Amino acid sequence: MLKLSMPRSTGGLLGLSSALLLAVSACTPGRAQEQASPDMSAAIQKMQSLDGWRGYLDVHKAVDKPRELAGGPVTIKLTQDAGGVFVGLPDHRRRDPIVFGPADMPRHYAGTPGITGAPPPMWQAAAGGGQETKPLTPFGDKHIVLPDGKLTIEAVDATATDAATTDDKVMFHASWKDKAGNTYEVKCCAKLAAHGLEYPTFGGVATNVILHGNSGIGTPLMPTEFTYFAFWGFGEVDMNGKTLDKPRLIHGMLTEYVRGQDYKLANDEGVTPQRLQFHLMVPPFKPDMEHGVFAHAPVHTGFKLPNGKEMPFWHVMFETLDFQSHRG
Amino acid sequence: MKPIESAPFAAPLLNWSLAVAIIAGLGGLCLAPVPARAAGPGVVVKLTDELKFAPASVTVKVGDAVEWRNDSVLVHTVTDDPQKAAKAADSALPEGARPFGSGNLKPGATYKRTFTVPGTYRYFCIPHEAAGMVATVQVTK
Repeated sequence: MLKLSMPRSTGGLLGLSSALLLAVSACTPGRAQEQASPDMSAAIQKMQSLDGWRGYLDVHKAVDKPRELAGGPVTIKLTQDAGGVFVGLPDHRRRDPIVFGPADMPRHYAGTPGITGAPPPMWQAAAGGGQETKPLTPFGDKHIVLPDGKLTIEAVDATATDAATTDDKVMFHASWKDKAGNTYEVKCCAKLAAHGLEYPTFGGVATNVILHGNSGIGTPLMPTEFTYFAFWGFGEVDMNGKTLDKPRLIHGMLTEYVRGQDYKLANDEGVTPQRLQFHLMVPPFKPDMEHGVFAHAPVHTGFKLPNGKEMPFWHVMFETLDFQSHRG
Repeated sequence: MKPIESAPFAAPLLNWSLAVAIIAGLGGLCLAPVPARAAGPGVVVKLTDELKFAPASVTVKVGDAVEWRNDSVLVHTVTDDPQKAAKAADSALPEGARPFGSGNLKPGATYKRTFTVPGTYRYFCIPHEAAGMVATVQVTK
């Protein structure tokens, strides 16, 4: 029986959460699900069924004429025309006690692990005290800096809520190079996520909202962060002009600065509200529309990690930004 | 479930950490941090991919110049302006000195400034201040 508040009783869950979170492991695609035992599958289904957004999403996802954003549409233009990028590498994420609560009364455990769920069995003691995720995640401190980062976004936030259709729009193009001269690109959005799975997407584009951390929207492994602009859509992952993976869920967000000393990913108390960061995320998950949940699916990025395996996600930060926005 | 293989990642980091620890330990035997001192008309401070000004502290005489060189692939700034600092402690100017800033320095770009007012200048990089990219220039008479 699954007891989320009692980690010692959930060994099976640990295995599955590791497998799901760690699309990052760069193992054979699909291997995690193939290895999942019936107990693990039951555990994950239980956690997914506990997702607190299910009611909201059920009500909104069939709306075919959604209401407009209060005050009218917001137009966004965001660019970076020079400088490098920070690329997040697979790493353990330190537990923020403010977000996750104490071990005996945990918060944010429901939903697919790595999406909105972070169940107690996912945590282990960290060197130096506290806890960290047992699996590697896209949300740690390890990173590399790569050159020639370019970013172009033009977007409109028109639709207020999740719905079946949307008037939101996003044109997104990001590129960067590695030190060998290979060029990596992410393009979006042939289609927007007009409604979310497991959490809201506000028609595909959101402006002036709080995401991640305690918000319950997106992974709580990222800190609670005010977000000036975010989108969720479907696009492609390219390398040297060739499409490697399509369609992929693409998520981008312009937020307050969530890195601290030596570029460590901040906990909630370490966020710097006066500075901006744009985060690009191509997660190692794909939506399972039939069941309204996410499923493990490493991204074919073409980028080799130092251990020789392929990076199974993109988590890329752009920080030399020109940001413009207006109503209308 | 097979655990994630982190060893190939961790091994180089461990070696590097060990090397840093050894160096730090040796330094601790006889060396306190020593600011770089101007040997001639000015000193050079490098801006790095590790989000550091190197060296983090330099000392020059009144009338000397400091040159900053962006040796990284990132865009950095050299900024000493209390109005632009996210944290008040990251910007300091001697009495009578005026705020200054390089604007965006693209990879390879340089910025040079001659200091005419003695005292302690605490400056930062606007995009990376929160990540600890802060340093000091000490100007002596």
